[in-house]
Amino acid sequence: VSTEVQMPDVGDRPLPDDRLKEMLHLLKLCRYFDERMEALYRQGRLPGAIYSGRGQEGTHVGVAFPLEPQDSLFVTHRDLSAQLTKGLDLKRVMAQFWGRIDGYLRGRDGNSHIGDWNGSRTFAVISHLPIAYPVAVGAAFAYQRAGDRRVALAICGDGATSNGRWHEAINTSSVFQLPVVWVVNNNQFAYSTPNPVEFHTPTIAERASAYGIPGVRVDGADVLEVYGAARDAIERARTGGGPTLIESVSLRWRGHAGHDPAKYMPTELLEHYMAEKDPVRTFEEWILSEGVMTKDDVDAMAERIEQEFDEGYAFAQSSPFPEPGDVTKGLWVEDGYWDAEPGRAGGTEAG
Amino acid sequence: MSATAPQVEAGAAGHGAEPRGKRSEDGQATYLIAIAEALWEEMERDERVYMLGEDIGVYGGAFKVTEGFIEHFGAERVVDTPIAEETIVGMAVGSAMEGLRPVAEFQYADFMSSGFDEITTVLARYHYRTGVRLPVVLRAPSGGGVRASNFHSTNPEPWFAHAPGLKVVCPAFPSDAKGLLKSAVRDDNPVVYLEHKWIYRRIKEHVSEDPDFLVPLGKADVKRQGTDVSIVTYGAMVHKALEAAENLAGRGVSAEVVDLRSIVPLDEETVLDSIAKTSRALVLYESHRFLGVGAEVAALIAERAFEHLDAPVVRLAPPNTPVPFSPPLEDAYLPQVADIEAAVERLSAW
Repeated sequence: VSTEVQMPDVGDRPLPDDRLKEMLHLLKLCRYFDERMEALYRQGRLPGAIYSGRGQEGTHVGVAFPLEPQDSLFVTHRDLSAQLTKGLDLKRVMAQFWGRIDGYLRGRDGNSHIGDWNGSRTFAVISHLPIAYPVAVGAAFAYQRAGDRRVALAICGDGATSNGRWHEAINTSSVFQLPVVWVVNNNQFAYSTPNPVEFHTPTIAERASAYGIPGVRVDGADVLEVYGAARDAIERARTGGGPTLIESVSLRWRGHAGHDPAKYMPTELLEHYMAEKDPVRTFEEWILSEGVMTKDDVDAMAERIEQEFDEGYAFAQSSPFPEPGDVTKGLWVEDGYWDAEPGRAGGTEAG
Repeated sequence: MSATAPQVEAGAAGHGAEPRGKRSEDGQATYLIAIAEALWEEMERDERVYMLGEDIGVYGGAFKVTEGFIEHFGAERVVDTPIAEETIVGMAVGSAMEGLRPVAEFQYADFMSSGFDEITTVLARYHYRTGVRLPVVLRAPSGGGVRASNFHSTNPEPWFAHAPGLKVVCPAFPSDAKGLLKSAVRDDNPVVYLEHKWIYRRIKEHVSEDPDFLVPLGKADVKRQGTDVSIVTYGAMVHKALEAAENLAGRGVSAEVVDLRSIVPLDEETVLDSIAKTSRALVLYESHRFLGVGAEVAALIAERAFEHLDAPVVRLAPPNTPVPFSPPLEDAYLPQVADIEAAVERLSAW
């Protein structure tokens, strides 16, 4: 297991300044979105469920940031921040949360069970984790066969590493030496179940050796460390070096879902992570200390993010619901539902 | 592919040879050869089509359907996988998302339960949720009657018929097997293609050699015309029904045999037309009687052909137990020709 991360030489910083600013924007946007959505949920103004990724933004932004547009991303309900990093439009994301026709899935699925395959190349999230791992094997198989240097990157949580598909997919990807990167967002809890009840090895990363692939363990609070590991793994996959397993360690700051107060979470552990291992604040402080941005720049960025959110919220509220008469459409390709613009007569008040 | 198949010399029986060459001397094809021909022709026609599964390459598949394929099409298009059914289905899905047209083979339909989540949760639902097309075919040998016991005799068609988004096909004749499989490979929706292992080498007939010979999905076929009773069935039971109908004809009872061919979509009109003609329905099927395919067909007839019926709809199907091994037990489990004749005679007496 290697935790060494080699940063590329771009002067004294690992990325050009505009990319660093972009990274901070994503981190702050994802944090702000997560907080505001939870507030709306608690006020009863958001239907359905929410799955907070707070505290894990360093993992989400870090692993998705080095992907090229044509690379594919397979994630879980907890990883909306990774999908936003890959390019999802906040307006359409919010339309999905409110079940509207302008959501990516036209109201066929809700909340962070989202995806935009034909645009940002992200798989539409399915709850049965790690159900997308085997699908990522198939995408990587297609890239290898085409010889087009594309890469699939899949994220699951620590909980999903206990499931047989985790083994199946990693094993198969190694047998065929496929261009895929396996990421485990180890936030230390699977719903209420802590790591020691999920697996008996000291780390998840060391399980890579069982598959004959490299395993790397990184600090999810350090977005640049995560980024470096992901960039190296993606490059290895792209150049025929096969799969890599990356374990990025953080803590889930909120419950499994909006309804879960997470009373099982040790208070001291949570307080420690919130005080010492906040990936957003840590990176913002680094940006300021490096002089990449000034305090005024960062404040202006925060204001823009609030605006982005408010615009997304307004867009979602004004987008119509799907038409009830369309409920059976789109099951089969030949009915043409997904090839045409959907009906917009569903109104904006829930029936 | 870094995992390359060992090179095998062509020329030995089956190696690298077109399945059409394995027809009988009078040009007839068994059900198994017809399936192999369909795969071969579709692989030849479309580079995007590839096969994956366990032991389908050098070994040629558990039932030898793909014998000779790897030598002709190569290991990149005839992909031997680890024994990992969830991942076989997931691979099919992921590669279909990237424009390929995978045909995955299960060694037995029973083992589809080992890939169930990827089939019913991912493959079936993805297009309805997202509009992304998944042209995936899952082939699997189904059904009993060959003393294969509990875990090699399942009829899983109701499982998949109850997962909206999957087409489900159960051919009974070589021509239908070939034409339906070619249609399935060309279809942009996922198709579960269940080939009945009892039929594989028992039934042969003249089969079209036209590379564009297709049988449409979702269309039933009346295999024998009759006037007194309709036997609505599919799969291996079609052959039992035809034998029973022949015997009944000698006793003055005229039975019509409707072969559903596809379970999803279900050809309701052909079923209803037959009932309108005969006014009596025996629904014969090999999945379990309780909530099996025939339960839906019986409900369809009761709802939409009530005014034509002269007798209650009768179902004949295996009991709600696993498939037992011992020959007397399996024979008691499966509907037999004599059972069909008795049921038809009871119906025709109304």
